Amino acid sequence: MRAAALILLVLPVLQGVPQRDSGDWPMPGKDYAATRYSGLSQITPANAPRLRALWSFSTGVLGGHEGQPLVVNNTMYVVTPFPNVLYAFDLTRDGYPLKWKYRPDVNPTSVGIACCDAINRGAVYAAGKIVYNLLDGHTVAVDAITGRELWKTQIGDMGQGETTPMAPFIVRDRVFVGPSGGEFGIYGWVKALDLATGKILWTAHNMGPDSLMIVRPGTFTGGANLGVSTWSGDSWRRGGAPVWGWISYDPQLDLIYFGTGNPGPYNSEQRSGENKWTNSVLARRPGDGSLVWAYQFTPHDSWDFDANAEMILADFVVGGRMRRVLVHFDKNGFAYTLDRATGELLVAEPFAHVTWAKNINRTNGLPVVDTSKTTGASRGNIRGICPSLEGGKSPVSASAYSPRTGLFYTATNNLCMNFEATQVTRIPATPFIGATTPYVAGPGGHMGAFIAWDAARGRKVWEIKEQFPVWSGTVVTAGDVAFYGTLDGWFKAVAIRTGRELWKFKVGSGVVGAPITFRGADGKQYVAVYAGIGGDWFLLAGDVRSDDPADVRPPSDFAPDLGRHTSQGGMVWIFGL
Amino acid sequence: MPPSIRYPNHVAAGGSQPPAAEMTNSFASDTASVTDGSKIFSTMNCDGCHGGGALGWVGPSLVDGRWRYGGTDGALYQSIFYGRPRGMPAYGGVMSPGAIWKVVTYIRAQPVPSVVPTQAWPGTETRRP
Repeated sequence: MRAAALILLVLPVLQGVPQRDSGDWPMPGKDYAATRYSGLSQITPANAPRLRALWSFSTGVLGGHEGQPLVVNNTMYVVTPFPNVLYAFDLTRDGYPLKWKYRPDVNPTSVGIACCDAINRGAVYAAGKIVYNLLDGHTVAVDAITGRELWKTQIGDMGQGETTPMAPFIVRDRVFVGPSGGEFGIYGWVKALDLATGKILWTAHNMGPDSLMIVRPGTFTGGANLGVSTWSGDSWRRGGAPVWGWISYDPQLDLIYFGTGNPGPYNSEQRSGENKWTNSVLARRPGDGSLVWAYQFTPHDSWDFDANAEMILADFVVGGRMRRVLVHFDKNGFAYTLDRATGELLVAEPFAHVTWAKNINRTNGLPVVDTSKTTGASRGNIRGICPSLEGGKSPVSASAYSPRTGLFYTATNNLCMNFEATQVTRIPATPFIGATTPYVAGPGGHMGAFIAWDAARGRKVWEIKEQFPVWSGTVVTAGDVAFYGTLDGWFKAVAIRTGRELWKFKVGSGVVGAPITFRGADGKQYVAVYAGIGGDWFLLAGDVRSDDPADVRPPSDFAPDLGRHTSQGGMVWIFGL
Repeated sequence: MPPSIRYPNHVAAGGSQPPAAEMTNSFASDTASVTDGSKIFSTMNCDGCHGGGALGWVGPSLVDGRWRYGGTDGALYQSIFYGRPRGMPAYGGVMSPGAIWKVVTYIRAQPVPSVVPTQAWPGTETRRP
């Protein structure tokens, strides 16, 4: 009780108008709360129509440019998709020439072990270092001023199907990293590395016995070893639960929050039980990794509903009381508002068209599943599951929160799927999937939308429909402008109070990364974004590929026009007034 | 000692091809092998990277009539047996030669679209929401 009262006194500081924005962008989500909100306000709905392209740079790499640049100390840092070059641009000189570029030695085998294109989701800055992951299972730290490599640590094993495109996250002296490989039957984990040396300090798995999950006795009312008892046999050993998305941190509670991905294989009949803690949010102590609480969004997943989307931390009134919450737009189509101290479910409402479940039971936090939409090898082809396994929103497409409006701004997909599961055997270093999942557009025929969401009430406030799924991240500013990009290559500014489009520019290739905004050396506000379609869209729309004469594919049947508007690309753009 | 394979898609220094051991597919004209090969393509998880029907997914299309590492029977065998750069695993340690040849037979039996080089979008304008 006393602790709660003290925390409530602190809340107005957290929730109120922030101090003058530093104007930089040191970590993927801008801040520990992953708000992707900037206090910069020079760009407004009134002047946004006058935005101009000011600078561009070809990354030299063709492929999905997920992630976002960093800006620290008048230097912009860009990590490319494989081969993961790190560029450092001098923002004080005309034309932003490079200070240096770092070209790591990275194993090309990783390109074939990565399920979903050779992407990279970004770097993080702390204590004079730029830290990021190479696709082949290594984390590197580079001196932010000189570009010299400081340490390189192996964290993943490609022989087990692990690759590492996610953006690391740093709290104090700890670097947090996780693997991809939910499609390769990995045994998922999060590791903490020492920032100074790169040494691995702890590894916490996402399922298995409490000892490997770093769960202290008495943590869960359901008992001990839930990471074993909720799996048939030893299916947890190859149960997936990758950590390929974003991490956030509450300094008062001293908790890091991240989502885990899908259980493997997709054929759910090979792993009976709720499969904890796949498709869950985990709250861990950064110091020793111990698991404090967890909540599973989609138990016994039979739809590939990874829960790796960002956990945005905010404080606002829910149900008449000020709450410290975590907001998460899940692949399963529900937007969740949870108490971030305890994991208590406060709000869970659909933000996309949902057919796999009727609603989320507020009392026990469980989805009320429409069992006619449950898939499995014995059940044949299940039709009309919404959302598709791309999610109501992809975890790639990091959303943003404005403390000025109290609303969240996010990309969404409007896709449904059929799902036919098959028995599959795990052969390490080969896919462990077992499903065919063709897509169709959701109701209305438009395949995506950019929306404003009220997480206190669980409802959409406005929506901009798009022809194609919206896969970019979002940045929102104190000027009440948000930016996002489309798969057909438009980068757009919208007025957040009305949902009115203010400006757009064709950036040359589909946008699958997140825009950022920063204060330049001249004091002016700038916006930067990558262009370069890929990620899942490299798999789904293989006809966007032009560079390999030995890989010629037909268009996808659900988005046959996409290749008309975009090929693969690799550009960094900067816009300003 | 791995067998040498004739590489017709490669440039040979001096125009001189390396000596080639004969690599023939003894399952080549066997329709049951196409069916077997299709099943093996799934059970060995080939479809997980190359897509159902080998149309392409993470890994390239195997049914477009184009070959990154050579399209002879021997080159396909070598690709599967030894693996290739950029992530094609070596299957020679878990698949028998007969199983590999059946997969080669299945892949070669797939129709190659006659209009592979040209992708056109004729007709109506794309729908706008």
